[in-house]
Order: sequence, then structure tokens, then C-alpha cells
Amino acid sequence: MRRWLLGFAMLLGLAFAQDRTQVLVYGGDWTDLITLDPQVVYEFTGVMIADNLYETLVRFEGNDLSTLRPGLAESWRVERGTTDWVLTFKLRRGSKFSTGREVTAKDVVFSFERALALKGPGSFLFTDIAQLKPGATKALDPYTVEVRIPKTASPQSFLSILTFTIGGIVDSEEAQKNAKGGDFGKDFLTNNSAGSGPYRLVRWDRGNQVILEANPHARVKPKVQRVVLRYIQEPAVLRTALESGEIDIAEGLTPEALRAIAANPRFKVVRAETLRLQYLAMNMKAGSPFANPKVREAVRWAVNQDELVQGLLQGNAIKVQTFIPKGLLGHNPTTPYRYDPERARRLLAEAGYPQGLEFELLASTGICGGGVPCPDVAAKLQADMAKAGLRARIRTIANAELLATYRAQNHQMVLAGWSPDFPDPDGNATPWSDFGARSLAWRNSYNDEVAAKLARQAALEADPEKRRALYKILTEKVLREGPYVVLYQPALPIGLSAKVEGFLKNPMMSVPLWQVGKQP
Amino acid sequence: MGAYILKRLFLVLFVGVGITFVTFVIAQVIPIDPAVAALGENAREEQIREFRERYGLDKPLLVQYGLYLQRLLQLDLGRSLRTGRPVAEDLKEFFPATLELSLAAFLVAVCLGLPAGIWAALRQNRAPDLLVRLMALLLGSTPVFFLAILLLELLHRKLGLLPGPGRLDPYLIPPPPVTGMVTLDALLARDWVAFRDALHHLVLPAFVLGSASAALLARMVRAAMLEVLSQDYIRTAWAKGLAERQVVFRHALKNAALPVLTLLGGLMGGLLSGAVLTETIFSWPGLGRYVTQSATSLDFPAVMGVTLLVGLVYSLLNLLVDLFYALLDPRIRYA
Repeated sequence: MRRWLLGFAMLLGLAFAQDRTQVLVYGGDWTDLITLDPQVVYEFTGVMIADNLYETLVRFEGNDLSTLRPGLAESWRVERGTTDWVLTFKLRRGSKFSTGREVTAKDVVFSFERALALKGPGSFLFTDIAQLKPGATKALDPYTVEVRIPKTASPQSFLSILTFTIGGIVDSEEAQKNAKGGDFGKDFLTNNSAGSGPYRLVRWDRGNQVILEANPHARVKPKVQRVVLRYIQEPAVLRTALESGEIDIAEGLTPEALRAIAANPRFKVVRAETLRLQYLAMNMKAGSPFANPKVREAVRWAVNQDELVQGLLQGNAIKVQTFIPKGLLGHNPTTPYRYDPERARRLLAEAGYPQGLEFELLASTGICGGGVPCPDVAAKLQADMAKAGLRARIRTIANAELLATYRAQNHQMVLAGWSPDFPDPDGNATPWSDFGARSLAWRNSYNDEVAAKLARQAALEADPEKRRALYKILTEKVLREGPYVVLYQPALPIGLSAKVEGFLKNPMMSVPLWQVGKQP
Repeated sequence: MGAYILKRLFLVLFVGVGITFVTFVIAQVIPIDPAVAALGENAREEQIREFRERYGLDKPLLVQYGLYLQRLLQLDLGRSLRTGRPVAEDLKEFFPATLELSLAAFLVAVCLGLPAGIWAALRQNRAPDLLVRLMALLLGSTPVFFLAILLLELLHRKLGLLPGPGRLDPYLIPPPPVTGMVTLDALLARDWVAFRDALHHLVLPAFVLGSASAALLARMVRAAMLEVLSQDYIRTAWAKGLAERQVVFRHALKNAALPVLTLLGGLMGGLLSGAVLTETIFSWPGLGRYVTQSATSLDFPAVMGVTLLVGLVYSLLNLLVDLFYALLDPRIRYA
């Protein structure tokens, strides 16, 4: 009798264990999640999830953000019209939304018009970067869409933007059926999904969990039926939950926890590449010591990048010095500057500061790229620069206050971070080099007409090789003359159970959950 | 009595207005622009301007305050700057989790603190008393985050006796949300597996949150009981040869209850106003976490909503405590 019971219990246990391979539990701090509407969402977590709920016309695969691949569109064409660019997309037949309806050209038109009408935080990608106007998207037949954008916009940037969630195609009937007061179904799609992606949204308990289930009509079938995203904010608890098997994937572990996990055969660590850059910016406005190019050059020789990356960041970052991050077209791998305090001191003397220079360095009280507190990064920089006679007074303030000060150009030197708004080099080139864009170059009074022109020219260049060449010139120029010292490109380490296979977080922070499998 | 309650409820209105005013002033003193805080590093100037206009942040302070009060009269708490949703909806989603946890923690506090305090008073200066006092000192002075992580490590990861953070096993299908309290929702759905699991998940956070209150309560009950036990009528009761149970529960406890009641009101209020640390460590989606996130992003409609709610709860609890006084002490009458 007892043996029989034991056998039964084991059977039950096995059944349960089998079930567990069909559920993937992903823990992390998801508190930035405020909406899952593809045309509105602009937060890391929301984008990551919405990416699994909706498909886009074109998409990137894996870590490669320079080769466009077919998504809902099986092919596309870019033509130069007389006054504008004409992009024609051929939709693949038989793609279906989770509602069971077929994806057609009218859904594409609806989704693009929706993005323009809702004016979400990412809508500037359509309105400003692509200069897309209402009515410029047309359904030529149920499977052909034509989009026209002005000659002054870059069709390459627009295609890159279309891989982002704002270009996600929603079921127009479902959205309109649930629309309230001309909101295009925005309220509804905040908590519900109506896409053709591999998953559909089942439940979102704010602050607690998000549950996704395989979309029965999807073209792409996921390996795991159900994904649960658990909100876990506290790093120590995240580690406990991973080690106890309560979660399969943990994002936001401390460097010590990661070291312990990497040493345990039951777990593994993957490092997601990011497109983020941590950098120092020097205000070049008239009267500032940093208006002198020799002082800026001195600062570049006074930063010990290798120690920063290997020591403080424990390798959770890569060393870069140019402003287009690794992973994007046009990344320039050159690293001509190394730590040379003597050389920096000589440059300072030549610039008229033989006794050295004292200035204020602003840093956020928060966490910098690579999971290290910003005050720690600032302290390391302060110590290295001091040996070159560059005496930084560190002032740490809340991030929002730092941004306000930076925007108002009231800084001398600031430790800041930047991520491009869309996976295209122009997402960095224009803000970093075009004074007229009123972004980073403007904030630091870097007004260089040649750099701005190069950025504009490269943005509109359709030939990738020519584009790459233009960016090489531009990045080299800004590296030598600009107001920035790029410090590092952080990586995002994630702890996984060894049973998890195929997990990838790409540099745009999206995770193709449908490719993730789980061993029993 | 009815008139008294009405008068007190009327006063609550003034408390509410006072709270909104103070919160508004504090929000203005902070030298950070909420629009910049909400939109982040890449935000463009036009976006910031549009955001200010949309939320009325471009208007003078007094106008903003007036508009807020006007909406409040229509029971509209405004929209959160961070989540973009009506604050009332956010509160509806986050409050039940806090209510569930704080009720459980309150239960823990009462079930541990009350008997421990009585026991200690009856055995003053003997082993039980010393034990209770030591435990009260330990639990009362252990930081919540330390206790929480210690217990999670020990009871969850090492021994596997209790589940980890969260409200339900991620491998279970959660019951349909009705009340927002998972235990109650599971009961309503007659999902016994989920109910058991939800209760299980409640044990650790409720204990961690309730333990400090239990310690406080034990000391308070002990002191109150000692005072009462030394009085003449108790000596008389003993002299009459009454059983210990009767002396304690019928004669002593009732008189010791008044100060304890005041404390209980405050404790429940404190538990309800959100236990940020407990909620953060146990990934409990409650008001405490909501308000910290709102505060760090300077989302003052949300902060105001929570402050109002908590203020209201405190006022009502105080009223309730006062009414209980009358019930316990026949000398107290409200006219």
C-alpha cells in the first residue's frame, strides 16, 4: 500500500515537473512598466513585453541591429520619388492576430495613424525623425502598404524605427471595438493585447506579475507555453528566488551574486550587450575652461578606462571611446586614448593651467550603467584625474535634478548616460554632434557646423558602406574635438537556471521569449 | 452618539483639506521639475512643455491647488504623472494587497503580543517574563529588512518550509481578481490549492511585518496588566478564591484594555499606511511600494492620493477606537 502511494506521488510529481517546463518565470524589477500599448509604450520593461505580443513589418534578429529581416512584410522596396521617399511593403498572407483575424494592410494603416494620433512618448520617432504625416500611409491592396516620407527624412532610420514597438501592428477591429471617446482603444490596449506576436497577454497584476500565454493563431510558435514575469525589486531576494528554483531567470543581481552563480553548475550568466554609453560631458560655453581644446584633450588622457572597466565594473562593460556604440552600423572601435597623467599635465600647462585646474563634477546619486553607483564611478574618475592636476569637486544630486541642471547648461562637467532612441547610428549622431538639434551638443555648447553637416549627410545616405565611411569621419572628429569623454558601454548581466536555453536579450533590450526553452 | 459620529466625520473633511494643502506645499518646495523627472534624459523641450500643459503644471500654484480641490469634490483624485492612469484606479489596485497583508500582520501582532504580555505580567520577574521581555526587545529592535532576508534565507531557501517572495506560486493559475486580496479571491473561486498557497505566501511577510508590533504590544499589555494587577479589587478577587482565568480575563484585562486599544488603533494605522521594506523584500504589490515609486518620480497626484487615503484611514480608526472606549468603559459617554 505504502509503495503504491509512493509510486502515485512520484507520478504526480513527474506530471508536475513536466508541466514546469512549459512555464518560464522571469524575475526582475519591472516597476517601470506602465503600459503595454505598442504605440504608447516607451519603457524598457514594456517594450520588452510588447515585443512578444506584436509583430512589426521588418525586424532585427538577435544581436545584429544592422541587417533588416522580414517580419509581417515578406518584402519591401525603397524608391526615390520626386518630392519624397516611397516605401512599399508586401505583407505575407495568413498571419493572424490572437483574435483569429488576418493581418491586412488596413491594420498597418490603422496602427501607423494610431501612433501619430496618440502622441505617445515615442511618437517623435514617427513625427520628427521619419517626418511621417497623417494620411501618408496607404493600403494599395489588402497585402500591400505604401508609406511616403519627405526627402529630408532618412528611409534607413525609418526602417530601423519600424522594428521598434511603435511600429507594432494591432488588430484594428479589436482596437476600434474597444475604443472610448476617440482614444483608438488606448485604454483597452494598456492592459490587453491584440497582436499577432507569439504570445498574448493574459494578466497584468501591477507590481506583482505579468502573465503571457502562447498565441494560438501565431505563425511563430513559442517553445514555452506560459511566461510569468515576477516583480522582484530586492537583489538579495532575487538571488534567493533563483537559487531556490522559484524563478528561472533573474535580472538585476549584484556583482557578488553573479560571481557566486557563475561558479555554480546549476546556473549560468549571460551578458546582454546594451547600446548605452556612460560618458563625461564638458560644458564648452564661452568663459568655461573646457572651451579650450587643450583642456578637453587633457581630460581625455586623464581617465583610466581600463581600471574602470576591469576594476569597478568587474568586466560588465566594454571599453569604447567613440560615440556610436558597438552593435550599431558605424561603430568605430578606435581607442587612441590611454591613461597618461603626465601628458595631461603638460597639456594643462600649455593651456595656461600650470598649477592644475579645479572644477565641479556633477554625478547622480543613482546607479550608473553596469550596475555601479554613480558616486563610485565619479570617485574613481576624481582620483585618476587628480594625478594629472585636474581637481574635480564631486557634487552628487538626484538624477532628475542632474538632468534639469544639464539641460539648463548650468554644469561644468557631468557624468551622464545615453541610450539611442532607435537602433540606428543617427539616434546618437544627431544629438551628439548637431547643435541645432538642441540635445547633447547644444547642452555642452558644442557648435560645429562641419560635424552637424556630416551627421545630416550620414543620416540620409542610403548606401550602408558610404554611410559607414561618413560615420567614421564624424566619430573620429567628435572624439578629438568634442565635449565628451566616452567612458564605457555597459553590459547587462543576467543570471539563469542551467535548464534555460536560448535566452537572449538584445542591445535594444528586447527578449525574444518565444525562442527560450526549458529543460526538465 | 449618532450626532457625535456625524460631527467627527465632518472634522475628517478638514483633516483631508489640511493634508492636501501640506502635501501641495511640500511638492512645491522640492527643487526638481516633475516633468523632467517623468520624461528622462532623452526628452525634448517640446515634450516637456506638452507634459506640463497636459498636467496643468504650467499654471500658478494656487490655481493648481484650486483645480485639485475642485476635482476632489467630484471624488476625482487626478491622474498619476508616472503611470498616466487615474490615481483612484491605481489605489484600487494596490490597496487590497496592503489591506490583506496588514490584516494578517495585525492578527500576528495580536495573537503573539497579547498572550505574551499577559503571561509576562502574571509571572513578573520570573523566567516567562524575562523571556517575553528579551524576545520583545529582540523583535522590536531587529531591522525589518534584516529579519525578512534572514527568514527567507532560512525558511525558504535552506529548509524549503515556506514559499519565497510574491503572493502566489508562479506555476499556479491565479484566481480571477475580484477583491484584489488573493486569499479571498481564491476562496470565492473555491480554488483550494490557490487558497492554501496564498495563505502560505502570507505567513512570512505577515510575521515580519507584525513582529515589531507584537513586541510593542506585548510590552504595553505587560505594563498595563501589571498596573491593574496591583490594584485592590484584584487582590479582592484573588482573596475571594476566583480562578486565575476569571481574575485575568474578567477583571484585570478589561481595565488594562483601554491603553492597549489606543495602541492597537495606531498599530493598525501604521500597518495599513504601507510597509515599504516588507513589501519591497517580499515583492508585495502594496501601497507602500506604490507611494515610494511615486515619491521618487515626484508624482504628487499619486502621493497626494495615498496621503489622503492613509489620513482617512487613520481618522476612521481613531473614531473607531474612541467608540470602543465607550463600549469598554461605562463612564465614557459621547453626546
